[in-house]
Amino acid sequence: MKLKKYLTLTRAGIIESLQFRLGTLVIIAGNLLYLIVVYFLWKAIYASAGTDIVNGMTFSDTLIYLVLATALFNFMEMYIVWEMGRAIQSGKITLDLLKPMEYRKHLFWSYSGSFVTQFFFTFLPTFLIVAAVTHGAIRFGWNLLFFVISVVMAVSINYSIDFLVGTICLYTESIWGINIMKQVIVMLLSGATIPIAFFPEPLKTIAYYLPFQSIYNAPLSILLDGNPQLQTVLTTLGIQLFWCAAMMVLGKLFWKVSLRQITVNGG
Amino acid sequence: MKRKGFGFYLRIYGKILAQDLKSKMSYRADFIISTIGMIFTNIAGFLSFWILFRNFPSIQGWGYYEMLFLYGFSLVSLTPVQCLFDNNWSLRIHVYSGDFIKYCFRPINLFFYYQSEVFDIKGLGQLAFGIGTIAYSWSQLGLGVTPLMLLKLLVFLITASLIMIALQNAAAATCFWIQNSFYVLDLVTRFKDYAKYPIAIFSPVFRFIFTFVMPIAFIAYYPSIVILRPEEVPLLSWLSPLFGVLFFWGSYKFWMYGALKYSGTGS
Amino acid sequence: MSNIIEIKNITKEFKVLNRREGLKGSIKDLFSRDYKIVRAVDNISMTIQQGEIVGYLGPNGAGKSTTIKMMTGILEPTSGEILVGGNVPYENRTKNAQEIGVVFGQRSQLWWALPLVESFKILKDIYGVSDKDYEDMLALYQSLVDIEPLLHKPVRQMSLGQRTLSDILAAFLHNPKIVFLDEPTIGLDVSMKAKIRTLIHALNQEKHTTVILTTHDMGDVDALCRRIVIIDKGKMLYDNDIEHLKNFFGSYRTLKIRIDGSLKQLAEEIDRKLSDFKVSADDEWISILVDEEKATVMEVLSRLQQSYKIRDMQLEEISTEEVIKKIYEEGVQ
Repeated sequence: MKLKKYLTLTRAGIIESLQFRLGTLVIIAGNLLYLIVVYFLWKAIYASAGTDIVNGMTFSDTLIYLVLATALFNFMEMYIVWEMGRAIQSGKITLDLLKPMEYRKHLFWSYSGSFVTQFFFTFLPTFLIVAAVTHGAIRFGWNLLFFVISVVMAVSINYSIDFLVGTICLYTESIWGINIMKQVIVMLLSGATIPIAFFPEPLKTIAYYLPFQSIYNAPLSILLDGNPQLQTVLTTLGIQLFWCAAMMVLGKLFWKVSLRQITVNGG
Repeated sequence: MKRKGFGFYLRIYGKILAQDLKSKMSYRADFIISTIGMIFTNIAGFLSFWILFRNFPSIQGWGYYEMLFLYGFSLVSLTPVQCLFDNNWSLRIHVYSGDFIKYCFRPINLFFYYQSEVFDIKGLGQLAFGIGTIAYSWSQLGLGVTPLMLLKLLVFLITASLIMIALQNAAAATCFWIQNSFYVLDLVTRFKDYAKYPIAIFSPVFRFIFTFVMPIAFIAYYPSIVILRPEEVPLLSWLSPLFGVLFFWGSYKFWMYGALKYSGTGS
Repeated sequence: MSNIIEIKNITKEFKVLNRREGLKGSIKDLFSRDYKIVRAVDNISMTIQQGEIVGYLGPNGAGKSTTIKMMTGILEPTSGEILVGGNVPYENRTKNAQEIGVVFGQRSQLWWALPLVESFKILKDIYGVSDKDYEDMLALYQSLVDIEPLLHKPVRQMSLGQRTLSDILAAFLHNPKIVFLDEPTIGLDVSMKAKIRTLIHALNQEKHTTVILTTHDMGDVDALCRRIVIIDKGKMLYDNDIEHLKNFFGSYRTLKIRIDGSLKQLAEEIDRKLSDFKVSADDEWISILVDEEKATVMEVLSRLQQSYKIRDMQLEEISTEEVIKKIYEEGVQ
C-alpha cells in the first residue's frame, strides 16, 4: 500500500509531538496571550474609529478573522525552511535523498503528524470557542465544507512556498536571512496579521495578485462571508487551485534543477 | 585568582568580538542576505504599523506620533538582546547535541563565555531604524532636546533592554529542563511585538498581568512614558530601572543554575 | 611524588524518566510520568599522582564520563569526596578549570570560524598565560609537530585529525596540571592516531602533565598508559599497572597447531588428553589456551609431538584488547 508508508510517517510524527507536552502548553498559552493583545488592540481601534464598521468589517468580524488566522498559522507553520537549511548544511540531506521517497513528499509527510496534533490541540478548540462565544457569527452550512477544502489547499500552497524557499538554502548558508524574508512577506501579504481589507488600495490590489493571500485570506473570507455567492466562493477556490498547482510544479522544478546543479558541482 | 574583574572580561569580549566580526565578513553572502532580511523585517513592521493606524487620529488618547515613539523605543531597546545575546537561540541545539558541555571547562564565567561567542551584527540595522523612528516622532511631537531628557532616554532604554534580555535568558534556559524549549523562546520573542502598544488599551486585570506577571509593559510603555508624558509618570516607571537590574540578575542566576544542573546529566 | 587527584568513595545517582512505548504510551506520558533512580557511579576510590598517564576504561555507559564530570567540577557527587590539586572541584569550578584541560574527541572547543592562532590568543587571555610562557609553549609545539600551517587555518576547514591535534594543543596551552582526554583518537586514520599518541606522550614527558585518558582503542592504552582503571556499571573493576593486568590473565598464551586430518575430531581428542586446557578448532588451526602456571607451552608441545605430526604452529600472546574484553564480559574473579 502506497498510502501506508505515508501514514507511518504521520503516526511517528504524532508520537513525537506528544512527547513535548510542555511545548503544547506553551503554544496554547502563547496563543491566549496573543489573542488577549489582539482583542484589546482592536477594541481600542474600533472604539476610536467612531463607527461600527471599518473597511467593511465589524469588530467581531475582525476578531474572528485574526483569531482563526492565528490558529491556522499554528497549524501550518512547520519551520520547513529551517529544517531544510539545517539538513543541507549538516549534510543530512544526502541521507534523506537516499530514502525511497521523493524528498519533497518525505518532508511533508514527516510533518503531517503535527498537522493532526495541532489540528486537535489548537485549531479545533479555538474554532469551537470562537463559534460559541460569538454565537452566530460563524454560519454552520456549506461554507464549512468549502472552508475545509480551502484550508487543505492553503496547507499545500504554504508548504510549496516553504519548500521553494528552503531550496534556496542549497545555494547559500544564510538560513536565517532567507527564512526571515519569507516569513515577513508571507505574514504581511497573506493577511495573517492584518486583514487584507484594511490595506490601502494599491497594496490591496498587489496582495490579491500574489499567491500569499490564498493561505490565510482566502479560507477565512470563505468562512466569514455573511452573504456568500457561489460564484465568489468558486472564484476564490479556483484561484487557490491555480496557485496550488503552480507552486507545486514550481517547487518541484526548482528543486530538480538545483539538485542537479549541486550534485554536478559536488556541493 | 580574584583578578578577573570587569576589565578582564571587557578585554576578552573585545577580542572575541573583533575576531567574530572578521569571520562574519568572510561569509559575505550570508551577511548581505541577513542584512536584507533584517531590513525587510523592519519595513514590514513599520508597514503593519502604518496600515493599522493611518486611519485613526488617536487610540485611547494615544496619538499617532506617540505610538510611533513607542514603536521606535521598542526597536532600540530590543537591539542589545539581538546583538549580544543571540547565542541564546542556539542554546537548545548545543544542549540536545551534548555540545554544551564544552563551555563548562573554562576558568571564566560560563554565562559570559557562552554569550560572548556570537555577536549578531544585523541588530545594528534595527538600531539605526529605531533611532530614526524615535528622532522623527520626537521632532513631530515637539518634545525639545535637553541633556536631562537625553539622559532619561538613555537610562530608560537600558532599563527596557535589560528586561527584554532577562526574559530571553530565562526562556532560553528552559531548554535545560524541557524538550522543545524553542516554543518558549518563540513565545517570549513574540512578547516584543506586543510591547509597542500602550498598556492603557488593556483592561485593569490585564494591565496588572502585563505589569507584574509577564512584565512586557516594561519593555517600552513604562520607560517611555517618562519622556512622552512627564506630567503623568506612574511610580512604576521610576522603579523600572531597579526592576530591570533585578530581572536581569534573576534570569542570570536561573540560566546558570540550569546550565550547571544540566551539564552534569547530559553526556 | 604528590597526589594530584584523590577520590574517596564517590557515588553519583540520577533520576531518569521512564518513557512508555507506542502511541498509547505517549498519550499516557502526557498525563503521568514515572521516574527511577540510577546509580551511575558506585563507591569508587582512587588516587592519581602528578605526571601519570592513566587509562580510564569501561564499556559504553559504564560511568566514565560521570566520574570525569565530577573531577572537572561540573557535577557534584551524591556522596564521597574528591580533591583535585587540593581543591574540591564542584565548590570552585572556575578555580579548578584553571588547572585542567579537556579534550573531547568529537567536539571541538575551538572557535569554529577563527584561525587556530586566534583561538590560542583568546585562550591565552582567558587563562592569563604570560607572553613568555605562551611563546615557549608555541616553540615547544613547533618542535613536536609542524603547527605552522595549522595556525592560520580556520578550524572549520580542518580535517578531523588536524582538529583533534589542535584541540589537544589548545588543552595544554595554559600548562594545566591535568588534562582529560576523551577518546582523542576516535575516527582517525592509523598514521594520525600514531601522531596524536606521540604528541600526548611528549607533552606528558615535557610538562609532567597528568593525563586521564578514556578510550575504546586499546592501541591508545598500549602506547600511552602504564596504569589503567576499569569500571563497569558504576563499579570499579580494576586499578593497577597494565603489566599486572597482563600477568593477571597473561599466564595464558594461545598455542595454535596444524595437524593433518579432521581438525574437529583431533581437537576433541586433544581436549581429552589435556584436560587442564581449553581446546578449540577452526578451519585451519587447533587452538589450545595454555595456562603457563600449570605447564609451559614447550611441555604441551612436546607432549603433542609424541602422538601427532605437527605441520605448523603459532604462538599468540593474549592482547590487552582480549584481556579488557574478558574483563568486560566476565569481570574480575
